[in-house]
Amino acid sequence: MSTLTYESDFSSVVSGARPLPVSKAAAELRARGLEAFNTQGLPTPKQEEWKYFPLRSIADRSWQPGESGPAVFEEDLTWMAEDGLKVVMVNGQLDRNLSDLSAVKGLHCGSLASAYVEFPDLVEPLIGSIADIDNNPFAALNTALFHDGVFIRVEKGAMIEQTIEIVHVSTGDNQVFAPRIFILAEEGCSAKIVERWQTDGSSKSLTIPVVEAKVRERAVIEHIRIQDEALDSCHIGLWESDQAADSEYKAYNIAFGAEQARLDQNMMIGGEHAVARLDGVVCAHKNQIIDNHTKLDHAVPNCNSFEIYKQVIDDKASVVFNGKIFVHLDAQKTDAVQTNQALLLSPDTTINSKPQLEIFADDVKCTHGATVGQIDEDQRFYMMQRGISAEEAEGLLVYAFAAEVLELISIESVKKALEARLYDKLN
Amino acid sequence: MLEIKSLTAQVEEDGKQILKGIDITVRPGEVHAIMGPNGSGKSTLANVIAGREDYEVTGGTMTLNGEDLLEMDPDERAHEGVFMAFQYPVEIPGVSNTYFLRAAVNARRKAKGEEEISAMNFMKMIRDKIKLLDLSDDLLTRSVNEGFSGGEKKRNEVFQMAVIEPTLCVLDETDSGLDIDALKTVADGVNALRSPDRMFVVVTHYQRLLNYIVPDYVHILKDGKLVKSGGKELALELEEKGYGWLDEETAAAK
Ligand SMILES: Nc1ncnc2c1ncn2[C@@H]1O[C@H](COP(=O)(O)OP(=O)(O)O)[C@@H](O)[C@H]1O
Ligand SMILES: [Mg+2]
Repeated sequence: MSTLTYESDFSSVVSGARPLPVSKAAAELRARGLEAFNTQGLPTPKQEEWKYFPLRSIADRSWQPGESGPAVFEEDLTWMAEDGLKVVMVNGQLDRNLSDLSAVKGLHCGSLASAYVEFPDLVEPLIGSIADIDNNPFAALNTALFHDGVFIRVEKGAMIEQTIEIVHVSTGDNQVFAPRIFILAEEGCSAKIVERWQTDGSSKSLTIPVVEAKVRERAVIEHIRIQDEALDSCHIGLWESDQAADSEYKAYNIAFGAEQARLDQNMMIGGEHAVARLDGVVCAHKNQIIDNHTKLDHAVPNCNSFEIYKQVIDDKASVVFNGKIFVHLDAQKTDAVQTNQALLLSPDTTINSKPQLEIFADDVKCTHGATVGQIDEDQRFYMMQRGISAEEAEGLLVYAFAAEVLELISIESVKKALEARLYDKLN
Repeated sequence: MLEIKSLTAQVEEDGKQILKGIDITVRPGEVHAIMGPNGSGKSTLANVIAGREDYEVTGGTMTLNGEDLLEMDPDERAHEGVFMAFQYPVEIPGVSNTYFLRAAVNARRKAKGEEEISAMNFMKMIRDKIKLLDLSDDLLTRSVNEGFSGGEKKRNEVFQMAVIEPTLCVLDETDSGLDIDALKTVADGVNALRSPDRMFVVVTHYQRLLNYIVPDYVHILKDGKLVKSGGKELALELEEKGYGWLDEETAAAK
């Protein structure tokens, strides 16, 4: 008999969900989330989209509702952006003491729960309007549990110089955390956002964030997501964006952490002359399983998209890349480029990559390419002949491999921090 | 002093024997040329000195200043002062020439217990030396050897040699593919490095290079063995008579 879902029991997690903001819309959204979660259940590998991301061990564990958890101290936090605006969430909830939300002209950045109270007319129709929870059980579960997160609004025409750096820290064992982030980038604005998913030391937690970004006409947004949780945690996220005409959204997915990590990134290009980037750097070692599913919808004509995924895999780690690009019937003059490359550092790694281009328009330029390779022995020997150690040579070659994506990041301090982190992880 | 005694080596992968008993001693300040027809094992010898793992040393010894090179990994040999200018320099996209060279210089300093060189002093040093090889400054910011012309690659090898200041320089056909001007530049670069305590092993197929880098000794390698050794006049004799002459000699000896 083939079952498509695992038996799992998240009822105590759901019944123990933390209180909602006082809002009828939020309550309705939660109810919709629960319904969507119950309908979908936890997929088995028989479902194509979850084939290489085993959920059995997650289904079998007895999960607890997320609690506010032990305190995280300021000195435990590190920051990647120099002089950025600091936003801290601990176990799914905004931490006002750790955050530095100084007022910046043209920017609102604060708790999502508070935003429901402060500007319900703005927030209510937005939250949940982008994320597709009917095709992602964890996004549905997040919605069933959601209670707080971060709401960012960059006002029309505002040029925000400071990087907004959001750090989420998970601390509880066997707990489920379901934060939400919503970014509203209004017409003609520009901003840089760094979103980091961390744990406080080891944490056998399950973090299931939903991030939504609404990028209005002519807005220019650079958004870097860095998932670097401890190797005993699980992280399953949804990141979904909706772009209007003439906008530019550069979305970078840096996936280094968690024992099992999955990200579904869905980008909708819904306005003409928009540009989208969705690039990734993945670095998996030991027994990590890192799965990235990206989906790009070219719904209108004259848009460009670029996607480069660089995946470094060591030890017995397993990495999945699934890249869908849909070019709709109307989307003439689309220019879409996808490449994904894997660098295998050990013979016991696994890589599953699947580009999936579905093109319904006839006047388009779409290319994709995938390569799998190893460290080049000639390059390694050349470096060692010059006195560089085997480890450093490997580090440099891995860095060079990932550099094509890291070099795209415009925030110098973040780029440097990521290079250092990548190097650290491999040594 | 480099001392190689009865060295034999085979291809790691298929066990094909290439070096069939090499004896050579290079004293400080000396330049030894190794000549021989294609496929005689010149590059193999150079690579075995540098420690390439594709070759397995099956017999003999090899020491540099009394230290056993055969026990060392390629990077350790480099720290001891071994440098090889590659016959085919390797391209490394994504790693800048400057970064690479600085990593190399610092790795050697670290091995000697010295402090890392400051970025400023390093830049000053390489700017002085790059002029010597007549290379343009923008090669420094480009990726290692990527998109370099054949001549630029060869000059870049000698430039790296000038920066690293090794004690044993092995040049593997650094002259091949160079026009006469580039050949002179490369030779000038090498000659500028000649000093009473530095050793050179210059591998070449043609005598031409040896007009500019004048050797103290010339050895002829054939089928994995050194069949003849002599002074610089041996190179000229070989040039005149061609490699076929050696076959006649060996036949006559039998
Ligand atoms: N890595 C290798 N694998 C197999 N055969 C090799 C390898 N390296 C060298 N050889 C063989 O050994 C012989 C000597 O090669 P090489 O040292 O490159 O000669 P030279 O530099 O004098 O032209 C040739 O027959 C060559 O094909
Ligand atoms: Mg050769």
